[in-house]
Amino acid sequence: MLDIVREILQTLAHNKLRTALTGLAVAWGIFMLIVLLGMSRGLYNSMQRNNSMERSSYINVWGGWTGKAHKGYKEGRRIELEAADIEPLRARGGSHVESAIASVSIDSAKVSTMRDYVTDGVMGVYPQAATIERAEMRHGRFINARDIEERRKVMVINESNARLLFGSADSAVGRRVDCMGLSWTVAGVYDNDWQRTSYVPFSTAMMLRGNSGVVGDINVRLKDMHDMADADDAERGVRAELARRHDFAADDMGAVHIWNRFEGYLQQQTGGAILEAVVWIIGLLTMLSGIVGVSNIMFVSVRERTHEIGIRRAIGAKPRDVLGQVLAESVAITALFGYIGVFLGIVVTEILDKLFGSSDFLYNPRVDISIAMEVTVVLVVVGALAGLFPAIKATKVKPVEALRDE
Amino acid sequence: MIIQLTDINKTYPGAVPLHVLKDINLGIEKGELCSIMGASGSGKSTLLNILGILDTYDTGEYVLDGTLIRNLSENRAAELRNRLIGFVFQSFNLIGYKNALENVALPLFYRGIGRRRRNAMAMEQLERMGLADRAHHLPGELSGGQKQRVAIARALITRPSIILADEPTGALDSHTSREVMRVFRDLNAEGMTIVIVTHDPKVGEQTNRVIRISDGRIEPVEQDA
Repeated sequence: MLDIVREILQTLAHNKLRTALTGLAVAWGIFMLIVLLGMSRGLYNSMQRNNSMERSSYINVWGGWTGKAHKGYKEGRRIELEAADIEPLRARGGSHVESAIASVSIDSAKVSTMRDYVTDGVMGVYPQAATIERAEMRHGRFINARDIEERRKVMVINESNARLLFGSADSAVGRRVDCMGLSWTVAGVYDNDWQRTSYVPFSTAMMLRGNSGVVGDINVRLKDMHDMADADDAERGVRAELARRHDFAADDMGAVHIWNRFEGYLQQQTGGAILEAVVWIIGLLTMLSGIVGVSNIMFVSVRERTHEIGIRRAIGAKPRDVLGQVLAESVAITALFGYIGVFLGIVVTEILDKLFGSSDFLYNPRVDISIAMEVTVVLVVVGALAGLFPAIKATKVKPVEALRDE
Repeated sequence: MIIQLTDINKTYPGAVPLHVLKDINLGIEKGELCSIMGASGSGKSTLLNILGILDTYDTGEYVLDGTLIRNLSENRAAELRNRLIGFVFQSFNLIGYKNALENVALPLFYRGIGRRRRNAMAMEQLERMGLADRAHHLPGELSGGQKQRVAIARALITRPSIILADEPTGALDSHTSREVMRVFRDLNAEGMTIVIVTHDPKVGEQTNRVIRISDGRIEPVEQDA
């Protein structure tokens, strides 16, 4: 075994430039595969994080316009969801409904301090909104049940807004802000790259809106969800109950808009799997150019060494010795340079992780050890495949070649 | 008889089939030093290929050291070449990126002998050829005569039944040629059977028996010395 390794190293060292050029193609292929896999993992991880199972168990409903005449009403009627819809939805929205909450937006509201003001709007919410809106708390707390009950004038503001209003985010909690003519206490500071709304208790916001009862949207929390059929079922149940209460046709899709996050979650799972498959296909196709390169080089090598192979055959090498040697050389080249590619690929994904790892669109873009194992198997198979035809050609070399003059 | 050829015929197929060996009958005794001479195209190379189990023949019978050489598989042929025959070629045929010691040891690699033992045996052969101090030189760093002695050492290392030399002095000057021929005569004196294919009469003169071949036939016997 050691002899064979020595033999391979000697031939490879003898043809340094050729070996290096061939290896480059393989290293590049594997490098691309690893980086692509890392990126797709990162993308998938961030989708997973943005759309966790917890968030996915909500369906989001908001009002629209009727598209069909129904019960004497003409089409084109505005449907507005109300706080009064919450309780009936919970009771009769179908077997998948666990609870329902609403939110209301006051987009025109300005939040100000002596120092500065922001106009990102105010939203009245329930405590569960922290999950749905993906508000990660940095300081203090989110809106809680007591805030709702007592209609407290408390506010949870975005981190960058807190810096604007108070100079620093960590000193904001407990300080006061002015909004809609009232003085509010800052209960917490949250972080979110896309949202800067200030959150207040739902009950307080409804009171300020003048008790019209109209809400912005309703989030229905679902339970016992497993597949697409459950998702459709839950959606149908919610729509039917709202149709009954607001007098529109249950099959009127425009009357209320429903964003079924669970459906999205299922699609995302499939999407993630497809993404990974596509990356493997692209990666393997990139590898294919590497295989062709190695194969080509091995053909050239076999041709160049016809005389040498002839000598070896004349002094007693059996066809399988020749076959084994060419195959082993091919596997050695692909494995050696493949690992260089793997190593560089991992270095690059680690750098990407350091640069963007905590951002919203690329989370933990790294490949794990199981990928490295899979890649090892791929490399050996690829190397053997690349060397197979040149090796078979090498066994066809007749020992008489040894007698032919160079 | 270490080599016994009986009615050997060989034809190269083609548009015009070429009948290169015609009813060759030849016996070579153990311990002989003989040469096969002939002009180019006479069939002597084909005869050498058949003797060396590098090529096949169509009809007849070839017995080498008691083994009938016929319809052999590639593997069996390789094994017999390794065991029975030591080759010495005109252009030395050493592997350029292996040093003298590794070149000499190579036949033993294919016999599955371990590296340490292989190298010890190779060193012994190099010493015998007076090349111990050149063991770690690459062929490119050796003179023609030294290269040919390395090649002879490689031929001897498997302790073959015969040595087949194909124009062993063809690439050497007259002084070195004499030196190499002396090596062959010394080996023969120790009992080795040696067959040299050549077109050089001076080489032929130094062997105990000259077998002349022309137009695919062996010419009537003419015994020297």
